[in-house]
Amino acid sequence: MYRFVLRRLLSGVLLLFVITTVAYLLLYAGGGDIARRLVGPTASDAQVALKASQLGLDRPLPVQYWDWLTGALTGDLGRSWFNGQLVSTGVGSRLSVTISLVLGAVLIAAVISVVIGVWAAVRRGWIDRVVQFVGVLGFAIPGFLIALGLVSLFALNLKWFKATGYVPITTSFGGWAATVTLPIIALSIGCIAAVVQQVRGSLIDALRQDYVRTLRARGLSFNRVVYKHVLRNAGGPALAVLAVQFIGLLGGAVIVEQIFALPGLGQITVAATGQGDIPVVMGVVVATAAIVVAVNLIIDLAQGWLNPKVRLS
Amino acid sequence: MAPKSFAAADSDFANVSPFYQAVYDTLLRMEPDGTLVPMLASEWTYNEDNTVLTLKLRDDVKFTDGTAFNAAAAKQNLERFKAGTSADAQFLAALQTAEAIDPTTLKLTLSAPDPAFLGYLSKDASFMQSPASFGNADIATNPVGSGPYILDTAATVTGTSYTYKTNPDYWDKDLIHYDNLVLNVYPEQTSLLSAVKSGTLNGSLIDIAMVQEAEAAGYKNNAFEGNWVGLMLFDRAGTTNPALKDIRVRQALNYAFDTKSLLDAVNQGRGTPTTQVFPPSSDAYDESLDSRYAYDPAKAKALLAEAGYANGFSLQMPSTPLVNSSIFALITQQLKDVGVTVETIDAGNNFIADLLAAKYAASYMILEQQSDWQLINMKIAPNSAWNPYKYADPKVDELLKKVNLGSEDEQKSAAKELNKYIVEQAWFAPWYRPQNSFVTDAKTKVELQTGNVYPYIWSFTPAA
Repeated sequence: MYRFVLRRLLSGVLLLFVITTVAYLLLYAGGGDIARRLVGPTASDAQVALKASQLGLDRPLPVQYWDWLTGALTGDLGRSWFNGQLVSTGVGSRLSVTISLVLGAVLIAAVISVVIGVWAAVRRGWIDRVVQFVGVLGFAIPGFLIALGLVSLFALNLKWFKATGYVPITTSFGGWAATVTLPIIALSIGCIAAVVQQVRGSLIDALRQDYVRTLRARGLSFNRVVYKHVLRNAGGPALAVLAVQFIGLLGGAVIVEQIFALPGLGQITVAATGQGDIPVVMGVVVATAAIVVAVNLIIDLAQGWLNPKVRLS
Repeated sequence: MAPKSFAAADSDFANVSPFYQAVYDTLLRMEPDGTLVPMLASEWTYNEDNTVLTLKLRDDVKFTDGTAFNAAAAKQNLERFKAGTSADAQFLAALQTAEAIDPTTLKLTLSAPDPAFLGYLSKDASFMQSPASFGNADIATNPVGSGPYILDTAATVTGTSYTYKTNPDYWDKDLIHYDNLVLNVYPEQTSLLSAVKSGTLNGSLIDIAMVQEAEAAGYKNNAFEGNWVGLMLFDRAGTTNPALKDIRVRQALNYAFDTKSLLDAVNQGRGTPTTQVFPPSSDAYDESLDSRYAYDPAKAKALLAEAGYANGFSLQMPSTPLVNSSIFALITQQLKDVGVTVETIDAGNNFIADLLAAKYAASYMILEQQSDWQLINMKIAPNSAWNPYKYADPKVDELLKKVNLGSEDEQKSAAKELNKYIVEQAWFAPWYRPQNSFVTDAKTKVELQTGNVYPYIWSFTPAA
């Protein structure tokens, strides 16, 4: 198990290095005109040159990259070209917002999906058909429509939650809950729809296996068989779907954050790519690549724990 | 829109003015009606030929890092702004030298008289930052000024939400109307509208399409006209498009647009049709010029025929994704009706840069309407940015000289004459002044600012 973890960790770091290097070269190679855009169309050439040298853009690309890489290794990702903020601070503070949304959505989705999925798989019949129908519906409705509906009903009409803005959990738990509940619900609906189908499907498959019949024949109760054995076997694929959903939600969060004006990763990504704020875009790339690598690592470990065969392959 | 950098030498104005005004004082302050009043400078005088400006400075002002404000600090700030990368650095183009005669006397020598100079000293050009903070690594996000508020960096999310506390040592308590101040940036009209409808905001600049919904949510609509919309006819010498050299062609382009209908279609009828680029608050303004070229396609066709273009001519104009594409379709249609074939070229995000680089003879544009001398230096003078072909006209030059150097009365009459001449010569083809809206809730009163889209920070007061 120890070697397995180490091997996964090393390949994760290597992947991170490759992703960021490629991203850096692609982004910076195309960012030549940025000094002009920063100082505005009416600025003089001297002002443009001054800006370029302030930002270090007048140096050769390999030198810039080496500076960035050595800085990044010590946690220094430079400063935003458009607001002067440290990238690590800007991306870091927004990462916490997005992670709390996505994690909240995934946790809710996991619990609800397992409950509904098991229910549908075990009971079958009309319950199963309703679950499947609603599932397809939930998957088909775009997240932003759900978000807009939630805003107008629960925030603007009923005034139960905040329509926009964010309160950090450290400032006030109630305030935090009032600002993140609707976005989390908006994000989780599509996720639930996807995971329920997976849980239901793999559970039905697992229930048909011979060992279920054997266990039942030995006199174990149906519930015990389902919760102790079948669910554990069916858990692997569901976890994998959940992980994919988690990563997908990072993208889905972009739109939801825009609608609720939440200062998350999505907002900074849209702003930074629109402006050509390359240090910030790089920061976002590093952060999301690290998350994807970490999530995959955690899922691998969880799969390994659920199913010892995985550790060998 | 969020401020790019809080460093005073890199600062901007217009939409982002309140972010800076909260933390930085200026030498002069502009009242909502445009009058200049003392701020850090308590009095100022020009010499006889308006080239040496002497300012008396307050001696009781401290920056929030504890250092004192004085003439040396003012001199350094002005010099840094002029040499810096602010888009407004050219405001101080006329400033030759700044001298600190003594701690409360600042002498500014100009290379030539500049009627807008005092106005510039009430804007970003004279934001006063503590010289001790010039080298701070975090100055872009942590301003050190002497203003009425202090940025609370712990509670601020850069780019999204800026929280300010009052400056306990501020020298003029009358300018502080709030205990704390939060300026939010909304990336999307959707979220801004949600924030307005849920009553989260005391005041906001909003899109004209949102006015009705904001009013339904209990907000007051403070409308103002800060821009003009229409065509810029850059190539008056006919360098790239010979047809535009003929004054009759340029006038025909003015007659070709049904501006009233355009205003109704594009801006819900909120605004005033016009054919001049100077605003009603200006000395140059002449109400009769608003209807100088009333919609008359027959007359447009006749003028084109007279100029030798009875079969029309073709005109290349750029489009941009930043502007609703239906505008370009409307332009094409209206000009087609009088025989002018428009070829629209997608300039993408280079729209403004291409216009300023003289790549197009004419273009659709929205431009602001400032005070006379600033407006002249933005779009009329031969070396101004929005005169990319550097078109000059002896009569205009002569009038510009009078506006710059004449006595106050001469300045006013020359400005009026200039405006009339520009309209007659059809340098532009303005359509209308669109209304903008600054909505405020029942708890908030605001006085709109002449010549700035965003009201100044001191103009907001809690309604009694």
